[in-house]
Amino acid sequence: MTSKAKLLYSKSKVYVHPTPNSKDNIPGFVGLVRPSHAEDSGILVAWVPEDDLKVNHDYDQYVKVDLDENLVLKEALVSTPPPSSFSSYGFSVPIRDIYSIYYKRPSLGWWWGSITINTRGSETLPAIFFHDSESPSTKNEQKKRNKDFDPFSNDGNLYWGGDTFLLYLEKYAKLVNPSGSNNIFLVNPTQEDLDLYSNSNNKVAAKDEEDPFVKVFNDVKWKVLSKLASVTKFSRNTAQQLFDSTPPKVKTLLNIPEVQKVNDDFGSAKVYLAKWALGIAEEAQRSKRKSVYNEGYRKFLKGELGDFELLSIDFESERRNPIGIKEWNAFFDPIGHLVLTVEEVKERIFHGGLQPEVRPQAWLFLLEIIPWVSTDKERKKILNQKRHEYNDLKKLWWDDLENKNHDEFWLDQKSRIEKDVHRTDRSVSFFAEAEVSHPDPNSRFAETGTNAHLEQMKDMLITYNEYNKNLGYIQGMSDLLSPLYVVFQDDAVAFAAFCKFMDRMERNFIRDQSGMRDQLLTIDHLVQLMLPQLYEHLAQADSTHFFFFFRMILVWFKREFAWDDVLTLWEVLWTNYYSSDFVLFVALAILDKHKDIIMTHLNQFDEILKYMNELSMTMDLKDILERAEIQFLNFRKAIDMVDRKRQDMSSSTFLASGSTDYSLTDTEGSKAAKQKLTDHELPNITRDLRNLLSKEIVIVKEVERDPDVGGG
Amino acid sequence: MYGSRSTNVYDYLFKLLLIGDSGVGKSCLLLRFADDTYTESYISTIGVDFKIRTVELEGKAAKLQIWDTAGQERFRTITSSYYRGAHGIIVVYDVTDQDSFNNVKHWFQEIDRYASEGVNKLLVGNKNDMADKKVVEYSVAKEFADSMGIPFLETSAKDSTNVEQAFLTMARQIKERLGGAAEKNGGASGAQKANVNLRGQNISQSTGSGCC
Repeated sequence: MTSKAKLLYSKSKVYVHPTPNSKDNIPGFVGLVRPSHAEDSGILVAWVPEDDLKVNHDYDQYVKVDLDENLVLKEALVSTPPPSSFSSYGFSVPIRDIYSIYYKRPSLGWWWGSITINTRGSETLPAIFFHDSESPSTKNEQKKRNKDFDPFSNDGNLYWGGDTFLLYLEKYAKLVNPSGSNNIFLVNPTQEDLDLYSNSNNKVAAKDEEDPFVKVFNDVKWKVLSKLASVTKFSRNTAQQLFDSTPPKVKTLLNIPEVQKVNDDFGSAKVYLAKWALGIAEEAQRSKRKSVYNEGYRKFLKGELGDFELLSIDFESERRNPIGIKEWNAFFDPIGHLVLTVEEVKERIFHGGLQPEVRPQAWLFLLEIIPWVSTDKERKKILNQKRHEYNDLKKLWWDDLENKNHDEFWLDQKSRIEKDVHRTDRSVSFFAEAEVSHPDPNSRFAETGTNAHLEQMKDMLITYNEYNKNLGYIQGMSDLLSPLYVVFQDDAVAFAAFCKFMDRMERNFIRDQSGMRDQLLTIDHLVQLMLPQLYEHLAQADSTHFFFFFRMILVWFKREFAWDDVLTLWEVLWTNYYSSDFVLFVALAILDKHKDIIMTHLNQFDEILKYMNELSMTMDLKDILERAEIQFLNFRKAIDMVDRKRQDMSSSTFLASGSTDYSLTDTEGSKAAKQKLTDHELPNITRDLRNLLSKEIVIVKEVERDPDVGGG
Repeated sequence: MYGSRSTNVYDYLFKLLLIGDSGVGKSCLLLRFADDTYTESYISTIGVDFKIRTVELEGKAAKLQIWDTAGQERFRTITSSYYRGAHGIIVVYDVTDQDSFNNVKHWFQEIDRYASEGVNKLLVGNKNDMADKKVVEYSVAKEFADSMGIPFLETSAKDSTNVEQAFLTMARQIKERLGGAAEKNGGASGAQKANVNLRGQNISQSTGSGCC
């Protein structure tokens, strides 16, 4: 490395921040260096630590060039900075290898402006921070400008150290600012690079005050973020620096132990970073909604559904506020007659959900314990009746305990119920305490204790085990009952609600698992139709059995969302507003949201399963519900279009055969050819898919239980 | 350029499976082994999940991928599809629950039915910290295990007793069975070769949409 190169530009006190701790900051110089005989595209953009310069005696040259910009006209020879250095974070990269420069000016809250270089390879170099207050050249320039009462740079913003860097770089490279924003510059972009940006960028003029999340997302977009994902250990440190220049929210995301755990489990940083990127995307999406909600979402979808040519996207979805008690009461006249149509109420619940105080009333309707068309008086009567019913059912086994205690199946089930109740939603205040001693001193829970609510839960489940003898109690049911009990705070009503809920959930639990299999199979067809590229990927990863949805479908996402979200999700699903199987569109929405990560990083079933399982408690319900609605609307439209197309084709065939009655065989032939073409071109709408348009609840009952077989 | 030394270098990848009646503490054993934590109010497992821990075996790094399954018989259709491809299966019962021990025989039958031939097995009696509630005596379980030629350990996920040993016993056995061959084939690649991916049966294929 003895060949000397010409130092064209230098800026002092430019730091790398390897850790969040400022003690670890490394001072250095950023420079433009032309190796001998190199043309402009070969000029190196370099960051060299001060310590390295002191070793090779180039320090003085860098200082001189920094302080006197005119020096670049003269000879300032330095050694060629190495592409990377093991001992430090130093780097140098020729201009032709630079893809973009992310440029973050200092602002309130961002003490130091920074620059991040993304190369055309898959690297993001360490972000470099311009410590303006320490750099003599920058201070000089600022002083000079202040004297002229023009402290601003060409773009009208306050002058900072990064400005001259860009100014000099621009002498040797074409810098294109693709989105009209100030934060990203493509370096010598190809037409392809430009197209990528014009396609993905917003028509809405970006403002500098815009949320930095939106900025990062819009400007850098998935392409660059996914570059981050192909990181080595080194660039993971780099990423850490990028994070340091991101708002605290992202940092919080990164520090979540689960996110770090995912990283460990997958054995590389890639998913970790991809998740981080998705987190940013989500934040960006969220803040964008505030200002340009519809435009942003539509644009987002266009990209998402581009793979289905039949569709033109013009659907929107927006969640509304949950229904409060005032609004709810206004749905009824003084004697309790509904003044809206049932469909209107359901639409409102579907899009907004309910506030907690409305639930005990509204859920009675949603679960069809009481009819929508009834009066207050009639409803009271029905509820009283339900109370009697529950007491009678409970009495049946309660009064028969002597016999029951010799029934092995019953004892088995009872112990299973007890075990499960003691491990269901214990973080919910109702079930948290265990202050009461157990009524049965021989119980395995005699020492740990219990409480009245846990005991009520057990009684309800044992009663259900008796009431629906063929099915009996099965694991997962306690998860379905507990929200009902907590909302109604009345065991008899909760039991009635549970029986109604179980009517539609029974198929999930039947012995041969055919109900679950059918739903997973329907998801298979749905993904084939709606997310064909993802489907191909899943097929290659041997994952089209969709087992990773098993838990989600079995208990309707009870384990995936926080308690309050589960309540909202269930009331939305109970409306059957679009489809009685809307739950499958929720699954589809989750896949849709994560399909980029899945396709880019997850190639085996175990990886996908792990990823899906760990989404638990991290998902944004509002976003998922909006996506699910849009997926449904697109699905419905797709089916409609396919049907119409098929009809068109068959009617034109019919016309052809009508006009040429003399050559029957030819017509038959062309009809067959046409038919073939049709089937080939159009997706096959299976019966499973068509059934998704139905609002009728699917009820599948368990067959009679063989008395010799356990409940298992 | 930049060194890409992964922190997850390993010589072997072993897939283990935990089975046994509902509530015997399979998830708690796994939680103790993989994360060294314990909770009294653990939730029931629905479906399947796995955790990973890398251990050292005679100077070699063995990455253990341990699958945890739902215990209730109802879900065996789905859990049994994970048997194939497992290198080792741990059958767990609860020393305070006679029924869970009585069912052990049944679980071993399941292994014979669904798992690959030669899969390593281990019997584990969990909750051994509850001495006053213990109903399955060590000698009884030991005799049963011996009769089947299977190693046996009593564990407590709560106080950590024998948890490490249980998983390491299993890992060592598998290494003995596969490791020699794996090393001959050249370390990690050999072990990888020996391993069959744990994938469920493709039910969408088995049921088919062959109506039209």
